[in-house]
Amino acid sequence: MADIVNDFTVNIATANGTGSQSANLILLHSMFEMGVPVSGKNLFPSNISGLPTWFIIRASDEGYQAPGDFTHIQVVMNKDTWLADVEKAEPGTIIIHNMDVKLPVEREDCIVLGMPMTKMARAINPKLARMIANMYYVGALAEILGIEDSAIASAVIQQFRGKEKAIELNLQAISEGRGFARENWNCDIGYSVAARDKDPNTFLIEGNEAAALGCIFGGINMLSWYPITPSSSLAESIISWLPKLREAEDGGATCAVIQAEDELAAVGMVVGAGWAGGRGMTCTSGPGISLMSEFIGLAYFAEVPGVIWDVNRVGPSTGLPTRTQQSDLTMLYEASHGDTQHIVLIPGTVDECFEFGWRSFDVAEQFQTLVFGFSDLDLGMNRWVTAGFEYPDQNLDRGKVIRTQEQLDAIENFGRYRDVDGDGIPYRTLPGSGLEPILYRGTGHDEDGVYSEDPEVYAATVARLKRKIEGARDKLPAPVMREENDKQVGIIYYGSVENTITEIDDILESTTGMKVSTCRVRALPYHSEVERFIAEHDQVVVLEINRDGQLFGILRKELPVEHLSKLYSVAFSDGIPPRARVYAEMILQTLSGDTKEVIA
Amino acid sequence: MSMRAIKLNVIDLPKADYTGGPSSLCPGCGHDQISNVIIQAAWENGISPERIAKMSGIGCSSKTPAYFLGKSHGFNTVHGRMPSVTTGANMVNKDLAFLGVSGDGDTASIGIGQFIHAIRRNLNMVYIIENNGVYGLTKGQYSATVEKGSKKKKGATNENPPIDLCKMAINLGCGFVARSFSGSKKQLTALLRAALSHKGMAIIDVISPCVTFANNDESYRSYNYVKGNEEELHTVDYIPHFTPIEEVEVPEGQFEDISLFDGSTLRLETLGDDHDPGNPVAALAAIHEAEENDKHVTGLLYYDSEMKTADEALGLTDTPLVDLSEDELRPSKAALKELNQSFRA
Repeated sequence: MADIVNDFTVNIATANGTGSQSANLILLHSMFEMGVPVSGKNLFPSNISGLPTWFIIRASDEGYQAPGDFTHIQVVMNKDTWLADVEKAEPGTIIIHNMDVKLPVEREDCIVLGMPMTKMARAINPKLARMIANMYYVGALAEILGIEDSAIASAVIQQFRGKEKAIELNLQAISEGRGFARENWNCDIGYSVAARDKDPNTFLIEGNEAAALGCIFGGINMLSWYPITPSSSLAESIISWLPKLREAEDGGATCAVIQAEDELAAVGMVVGAGWAGGRGMTCTSGPGISLMSEFIGLAYFAEVPGVIWDVNRVGPSTGLPTRTQQSDLTMLYEASHGDTQHIVLIPGTVDECFEFGWRSFDVAEQFQTLVFGFSDLDLGMNRWVTAGFEYPDQNLDRGKVIRTQEQLDAIENFGRYRDVDGDGIPYRTLPGSGLEPILYRGTGHDEDGVYSEDPEVYAATVARLKRKIEGARDKLPAPVMREENDKQVGIIYYGSVENTITEIDDILESTTGMKVSTCRVRALPYHSEVERFIAEHDQVVVLEINRDGQLFGILRKELPVEHLSKLYSVAFSDGIPPRARVYAEMILQTLSGDTKEVIA
Repeated sequence: MSMRAIKLNVIDLPKADYTGGPSSLCPGCGHDQISNVIIQAAWENGISPERIAKMSGIGCSSKTPAYFLGKSHGFNTVHGRMPSVTTGANMVNKDLAFLGVSGDGDTASIGIGQFIHAIRRNLNMVYIIENNGVYGLTKGQYSATVEKGSKKKKGATNENPPIDLCKMAINLGCGFVARSFSGSKKQLTALLRAALSHKGMAIIDVISPCVTFANNDESYRSYNYVKGNEEELHTVDYIPHFTPIEEVEVPEGQFEDISLFDGSTLRLETLGDDHDPGNPVAALAAIHEAEENDKHVTGLLYYDSEMKTADEALGLTDTPLVDLSEDELRPSKAALKELNQSFRA
């Protein structure tokens, strides 16, 4: 059979808590080690142990990182989803199953390959058989796909760093799995991997860890957090890297870490740290933002800097805590009661998670306001490729802080909330400095910070705040654009859709000849380049992973009215990372005026 | 030309440097008396106003930071959340003296979680509760600290048992727990001066009558009621570390000296039964006993100086984090290079 090389999807069905994550990461890393462009998606349950988990590995020379529209190889290990996993397989799928799960695989239209994985695992280590069994499908896949031994070994060593016994045991199981497949199966299955030139600088990392490192390089002074999936690993990464990267000469910590009693306290601590002149940050997910909203309004109105990372999960309410979505955008942009508007930085890659990690503190202090980093579970908790993080290209920007009497004297008629420079950003002094002390408040205040209910004072204050945030537009990260000469259709998107956009673009072109320009928004309020992009295209689709078209709504509210008739919303989310074909079809239907609901 | 002598404190500042703006509370409000005590105590202790951070939540009491220490930065935050804001500020600038003012609605209801956790962490601050048993700004609803059987000016008698914040603080292991009365200026001043000399969380629950909604005789927190039903554990004298001890009046009865963190002393002069402030069970018993008899027990209920503060427990570097330089905040280029390399390996 002629092989399809580096272009297939493997779906591995296991139960949560059985050690399959190690096996899956070994597969992912071994292929990455060979230079195969590969991505992995972990679809895990909100559960410690027992509920079903699927891990999707996609190899693609095209560099496609979406889960893929078809499964080519299905590994079934979990008895609870066994029958459904087997039934769902398309004709021709290769089904690899653990024969020790005594369940049928009645699919004559598929290539069914069985291996007594648990039994073989028990023979080498009875105690750990349940976990080791997973390594047999690693061996089987390595054999049928042609993953090199050296790549496997390197991935195993990386996974079990320093644990010699574990390395030895797992390598033995993989080797036995490989041997069994070679001796008992026809391994000519039609799919294989081929080594590619690997950029030696590249490595895989989760978005949350990248953001965490960015925060550390951004000079974070205080991390307050309350555990919530999928943001906990961001906080835990900061905690684990601080001792190595941020210890003072006297051995003391330069960043305080507090696990707060709830999200309300976590954000209160951020506000307190910012008020006192420090760089405070918290990370959470949608439910946390809901709880933090009151404080977010205080920080906006009293003009206190701070950073909040929101790693979006599926809402509303508790929703699907371990699935991905882009549904918090509107909430972040306008969080809290009254008229508010917040700066949102939206990374689409792990490199940007790192960059926006440090940059968010500069932006917060520059504009004296809360800044959101907006990521999602897909970007935050899955592993993505980077060629290495780049060092910040500018010094810390501490904003307009008056630190000396001379600086204070240089300002005529100082007031905490007086717009001296005409950019809406006032100067501030810090507690402890003795310079122009004021009582910060969430109540109405005049330019000197004194309580006021005066209508003119209030109107002027909120108008200045609006001007201040408006002024941020073109100082925030500009959109990333790829423009066709023929500017018929443009797609606006953001965040983790970056991982699917190339494939969507290719599907549109290969099926209809349509050539689309793309524009990835990287911050709110959106950059003026976004408006130019819209102005220059005939039809503009706003593509996002939610139900209601949240960025579409923001654009519709803020764009000049003449642009509105060319805007189309394509928004869909089922909790699974976006599959290109689903979105491509929705785009085509939307542009053709077919309004019937699209079901994935 | 006549000369007028101005009294200066130990750092040569007049009391005027510790005052604030005019109060907008009701005339006669207990909270204003507490504000005056705060001014007096901070001045007498000779704390530089710029080193103090005034923190509050929302409510009548939380408005008062505008009325004292006008030369200190302050933050009138959101309802019940003063402790978390103070925590964040304390983490990045541990050298500030944090003075929090809260009310019974702010602390015992909406903010009870933050109150508890600030104690649990032993946040280095003075936490004053201006406790009148009613919500004033929203026109006189009962709060959670009001005694069972107490009746405000309008409406029914309260039938719910009170949340006693001192009991709660003692049970949570707070190292400095006192109760006082806004009408007992001498006692409150001494206790506040001692609290300002303490390292760690110092809680003073101050009964502070609401003259508008609950100053009727059926209210257990009215002036008349508290005056007739206050039971002082001891009389208290504060002896600052910068005054030679010989100059202080020596009481005739028995006394016990408490040595405070900054070298000052709180002298407790026994009145009736001996109260041991090092014994949490005795402190709880005194509160329970007073509660049984519809009395208010005041004084230093519990004291323990041995606990690590929140900032100490985190092992922060000696310099307050807000004063760190860019070099100390941002790891080097070499560190990033090494980091990238470690991921590639």
